[in-house]
This record gives sequence, C-alpha cells and structure tokens, in this order.
Amino acid sequence: MLATLDALAQSNRLHIVELLRDGPRPVGEIAERLGLRQPQVSKHLRVLSAAGLVEVHPVAQQRIYQLRPQPFRELDAWLGSYRHVWDARLDRLEAYLHDIQQEPEQHVQEQHYGDKR
Amino acid sequence: MATSDDSTPPGDRELVIARVVNAPRALVWKAFTESDRLAHWWGPEGFTMLVHTLDFRPGGAFHYSMRSPDGQIMWGKFVYHDIQAPERLVFVTSFSDEEGHITRAPFSPTWPLEIVNTVTLSESEGNTTITLRGGPINATQEERATFWNAQESLQRGFAGTLDQLAAYLAEDAREI
Repeated sequence: MLATLDALAQSNRLHIVELLRDGPRPVGEIAERLGLRQPQVSKHLRVLSAAGLVEVHPVAQQRIYQLRPQPFRELDAWLGSYRHVWDARLDRLEAYLHDIQQEPEQHVQEQHYGDKR
Repeated sequence: MATSDDSTPPGDRELVIARVVNAPRALVWKAFTESDRLAHWWGPEGFTMLVHTLDFRPGGAFHYSMRSPDGQIMWGKFVYHDIQAPERLVFVTSFSDEEGHITRAPFSPTWPLEIVNTVTLSESEGNTTITLRGGPINATQEERATFWNAQESLQRGFAGTLDQLAAYLAEDAREI
C-alpha cells in the first residue's frame, strides 16, 4: 500500500497510470501522449514497475506497458476499509447534526451532502 | 487492536471508533434510525441515497440504493439485530442486489459479505459520544484477512503521502 501511494504521488506517474487505464501502450506512445521525453517516461515506468503497478511485455521491437490490477484492488479495499469509511461518515453526520440544529426541523427532505467543500 | 493472527474466531476482534458530537442523544438516535435523516450522511460524499424498504425492528431490514456522481447505482442492506432506543443499535451491513440478496463488494472479491456494527450513544452536557464497534461476521478466514489487512495498512503512518495524493487528485482531476 505504501509503495502504491508513493509511486502514485507524483503527477507524471499518475498521468501514466491514467493513460494505461484505457489499455496497454508502448513507451513511445506514452511519451507522445503526455508530452514527455522518452527517457523521462522510462524512468517513471521503472518506479511504477518496482512498485508492482505496471508490467511490461516485449512485442516485436516494442516494450508494451500495462497495469497490474492487484495493487489497485488493494487500494480500493483500503479506501473501503471500515475505519476509513466510518471516519468520513461520522464527519458527514457531525456536519448534518450541526446544520439541522442551526435551522431546527427544517429541510429534512433536502439533500445536504455535496454542500461541504 | 488488529494485532492478533487471523485464526482468531469471529467476534474476538473488532475495531472501535469513538466520536463526540455536539447534539443531544435523541437527535443522534434519529439520525441513525430514520431513513430520511440517514440519507443525509450515510453514503459517500456526492452520492444520492434512495430508500427502497425500511423495516425497523430486530430481524427487519433496510434496503437502499446509492447513485454515484457518474450515475452508477449500488445497492446495500442493513439487517437490524438489536434496537434499544436511544442508546444501542446493532445492525449488519452488506452490499446487495436490487432484490435485497447479499452480494460481493464491488471493489474486492474477498471482502467480507457481512459486517456487524454496534453503535452505542451516551449523552453528557448536551454532547453525545458515539462509540462504534465493528468487524466481519460469518466470514471465511480469507475474508477476515482481507478486512484486517485493509485496516492495518492505515496504521503505518502514510497519511502524509495520501494527503499529497488526494490534494493532487483534487487539483488536477478536471484537467486530465
């Protein structure tokens, strides 16, 4: 998990991951799509690969990179984890209780979530 | 917490979360037990909760749907086990289909099907302490392992990295 987050917490690497969500791509195409130099992309792909987020398949002369689903499933499971979900939920409950006590018994039918920014 | 091995029998291990809110207990109880109030805070930010059926009694179920900001519909269900107004509520949560049958979590094939939640409310000087205990029930060893692994990741102190990622995602999400 820590390796996943560390690897993703860099804007170019996150862009690469987002690009690869649409399907496997060769290094050259990734560089072109993101407007980066190929050595720079290769460096980022090495970090992503070391963190287990991508894997490479040589096809003819090209190196095709694709996402590995496992770490993303773990990230999802963590985001869905009991404590994470309940902490966020109790934040919303607290905001809701605050709101309705400001305007007693009003707008119970109104949708408040999304108000908090 | 969360240190014993996964052979621990279900129920022996649970997470405890406590929160003090500035509201009387009777109001907090309503927020947990009245579906139109629950709809204000239960779902993730930006999700719209719709109540399908609510049968608020021990053994009864609450069946609801949630629409994500991009229009995806998810169904969920509570089964109430113990109701002692206004201080104790025990309910089992699960993902479900449209008919109310329990389904797998959308994000993991090994996430426990059922999580039991015990909510205890106590009031002091106009504030209410919400204590929440929870953990998987009727779960396989693999499901319990998935659940506890996800919890344990939290305790390794990478909050800073995650904040950085969250801030970045919030900033750039629209430009990608």
